[in-house]
Amino acid sequence: MLRFTLRRLALIPLLLWGIVTIAFFLSRSVSSNPLVTIVGERNLGNPDVVAAATRRWGLDKSLAEQYWVYLTNLVRGDLGTSFRTKSPVLDDLGARLPATLELAFTALVIAVVLGTVGGVIAARTQGRVADGVLRVAALAGSSLPVFWVGLVFLFVFYATLGIAPSPGRLSARVIPPPDVTGFYTVDSLLAGDWPLFTDAFAHLLMPAFIMSLALLGTVIRLVRSQMLEEQGADYVRTARAKGMARGQVLNRHVLKNAITPVVTLIGVSVGLLIMGAVLIETIFSWNGIGTYAVESSRGLDFPAITGVCLVGGVLFLLGNLLTDIAYATIDPRVRLS
Amino acid sequence: MSSARPSAPHRRRTAVRAGVVVLAATSLAACSSTGPATTDRTGIIIGRAMDVNSLDISRSLCDTCQIYNSAVYETVVRATPDGELEPLLAESWEANEDSTQFTFEIDPDAVFADGSAVEAKDVAWSWLRVQNLQGLPSYFMQGITGVEATGDRTVVVTSAAPNSAFLNIASASYMGVVNSDVAAENGATADADAASSDTAEQWFLENSAGSGQYVLDSYSEGSEIVLSANDSYWGEEPNFSSVTIKEVTDASAQLQQLQQGDIDLAMQISFDSLDQIESDSSLTTDVVPSYNFLYLALSPGVAGGEALQDVRVRDAIRMGIDYDTVIDATLAGNGERQSTGIPNGFEGSEGLPIPDFDPDGARALLAEAGYPDGLTLDATYPTFSAYGVNSNTEMQSIQQSLAQVGVTLNLAPVDFSTWGEQIDSTGYPVTAIYFAPDHPDTVQYFQYFSLIDGSVWAGRARMPVSPEENDLVAAALAQSGDERTATYTELGQLMYDDAIILPIVNPSYILASSADLQGNNYDITRNLDLTRLSFTD
Repeated sequence: MLRFTLRRLALIPLLLWGIVTIAFFLSRSVSSNPLVTIVGERNLGNPDVVAAATRRWGLDKSLAEQYWVYLTNLVRGDLGTSFRTKSPVLDDLGARLPATLELAFTALVIAVVLGTVGGVIAARTQGRVADGVLRVAALAGSSLPVFWVGLVFLFVFYATLGIAPSPGRLSARVIPPPDVTGFYTVDSLLAGDWPLFTDAFAHLLMPAFIMSLALLGTVIRLVRSQMLEEQGADYVRTARAKGMARGQVLNRHVLKNAITPVVTLIGVSVGLLIMGAVLIETIFSWNGIGTYAVESSRGLDFPAITGVCLVGGVLFLLGNLLTDIAYATIDPRVRLS
Repeated sequence: MSSARPSAPHRRRTAVRAGVVVLAATSLAACSSTGPATTDRTGIIIGRAMDVNSLDISRSLCDTCQIYNSAVYETVVRATPDGELEPLLAESWEANEDSTQFTFEIDPDAVFADGSAVEAKDVAWSWLRVQNLQGLPSYFMQGITGVEATGDRTVVVTSAAPNSAFLNIASASYMGVVNSDVAAENGATADADAASSDTAEQWFLENSAGSGQYVLDSYSEGSEIVLSANDSYWGEEPNFSSVTIKEVTDASAQLQQLQQGDIDLAMQISFDSLDQIESDSSLTTDVVPSYNFLYLALSPGVAGGEALQDVRVRDAIRMGIDYDTVIDATLAGNGERQSTGIPNGFEGSEGLPIPDFDPDGARALLAEAGYPDGLTLDATYPTFSAYGVNSNTEMQSIQQSLAQVGVTLNLAPVDFSTWGEQIDSTGYPVTAIYFAPDHPDTVQYFQYFSLIDGSVWAGRARMPVSPEENDLVAAALAQSGDERTATYTELGQLMYDDAIILPIVNPSYILASSADLQGNNYDITRNLDLTRLSFTD
């Protein structure tokens, strides 16, 4: 497994180079003008301002030159400076990634825990009311548009009932915890500030739950179908014939086998959750990488767009690698080669 | 009695149950917590869709920048709500007879936030930096040939040609004075090569160097700008201990957060929500006129715009727009019609003709111009939502009314960067966009919309320069008082006759805040003047 892991890790730079190259040329292939973002509509007709901005941001160089400069800077860990925020892209991503990771990780935990429990209950109550309710809920979770659910939840629980906190990572006038990990829940605990932790956690719950819905629905259906499939296997019949209680068979043996495909699903979903955070982050004023990606795309902020693609690529590649390793660890039949 | 050690599955189940209980308890605690440590209510939270393009005052140009710049930096003079100029950093000022030289005397009491005195050299350095950076506000210094500190407190500005607008321009928030010593230590320069050698923009994202009531505490792009009161402020004490400008992009989200008390003031409330706010006793609201406007621009000189070369066709389009219906559709009726590129209320706008919907007149003019069966034009415009107006709604409404007079508009909405790629190259026969003032002088509208040398829209419309308009602008800049106002009006009439810029609506503006906040305002140079805001007891 070590050789497999090292070989996969060695391939990552090559794959990232491919991602960066595609992102670089694709973003520049559109017939739009980033100078609108840089100098604004009013100054587009001002040749001095346009010339100064073109020089300053390297847009006077040929595409090949720009690409070479980008790559050489990238090797040194410099992802360029954002046209829009005027900050180094690495700093921008570093400031926003923890917010998105905190949201995505919480959504993942919710989806896996509730999804597994839901799937097991549905399988054990097959054909009964609970199974029907869970199957409909799973279908709704997978089908309802996230932005619509987000807006409805905000309107009902925040604006109307007033029981949910405001959009954002903390309540108004609340002072954020000292920055250690960038995860407000973790940092507030590290600071020993329980009220701050509860505030951060309360703000996290609703967006994370809504973000988890699509994955939650899939996990429920996957676990349910796997459980039902496994229940017909020979080893289950044998265990039951030897007098093992049905619940014990399901929990000790069937569940363990049924949950293996969920691991694959998690691996694929990590990247999707993070890069798909756009809508949730926009609706819940969550200043993460999703909103950064949207604003960067809208303004043709080339360095930022390429930087976001690079981060997305790293997360996908690492997610897939970890999934393969986890899969092999859980299921001894899988050999990594 | 002996106790058996629990089996592994039992321990796992117990651990899972314990985890669930902890999670549930935490969730409940999160919902019922008495709350974390907060800043007190002496600070104000303002919700708005931020459009910050820089916190470096000499490079910035945006509505949010106006609020930030005027809170943190100070100009030599400031424009009052009545359009008069009053002292700020300068205790006195004067212009020579032909408005080519301006002298400012800096108030000896003025100090920066670090306690050092505001000197004439800081003023000269700041303005030269605006000019030499060739950044977004550099056109404020257009035609200025010299800025010199002739003493510790005296600054002399020289213009190549008469420029009576300069005093108004000096009141723009982008002309605020920076502590030159501090900024220079951090990479800023005002030298002639500043456009390539100045490296301070990132420093300004985390620091400020002004003499205003507030200093920059922190900035998180896409989230908030936090200002704290300047303890060394040399004038009247600030009304708030802190000012937070919070990113709330959506108008309905601004309303929700205002109603829940999470923000104290909302800057972009939709007119659809006006009834809701007015019926809420915890909120206060007012609808006031603004100087912003949205306009249709016709470009006779670009491919596809040949029919527009006949001014009668351009006039017919102006007459074929049902303004009231468009204003109803876009702003629920909360806007005014406007004559030309000079907003209602600006010097020179009074007495200019206001366009009317006249379909019969439009059809007659089109027939006279050789288009009895009407004509078809492509209208490419950026998709935006500005000052409460959605460009798609606006253009669809215009399309419907022009169809009644035989003008078919083929609408093509594009994103802003695509629009920007084409507008100054191939151009568009018909487009739609918006404008907000940067300073209180009317000359900005001639420099942008009229047919004079260097005007942006003369270039985009591919129209020849009008010598008459050129001469009148030059004459106005050498005049003052009523004489100048009359020249501005004459220029406004010529712009109306050109029929290149057709204003569609001058939107009203909603001032919405919590009921315990007084002094909410719309300010021409500051966008929101924080000095007029305060909490009631």
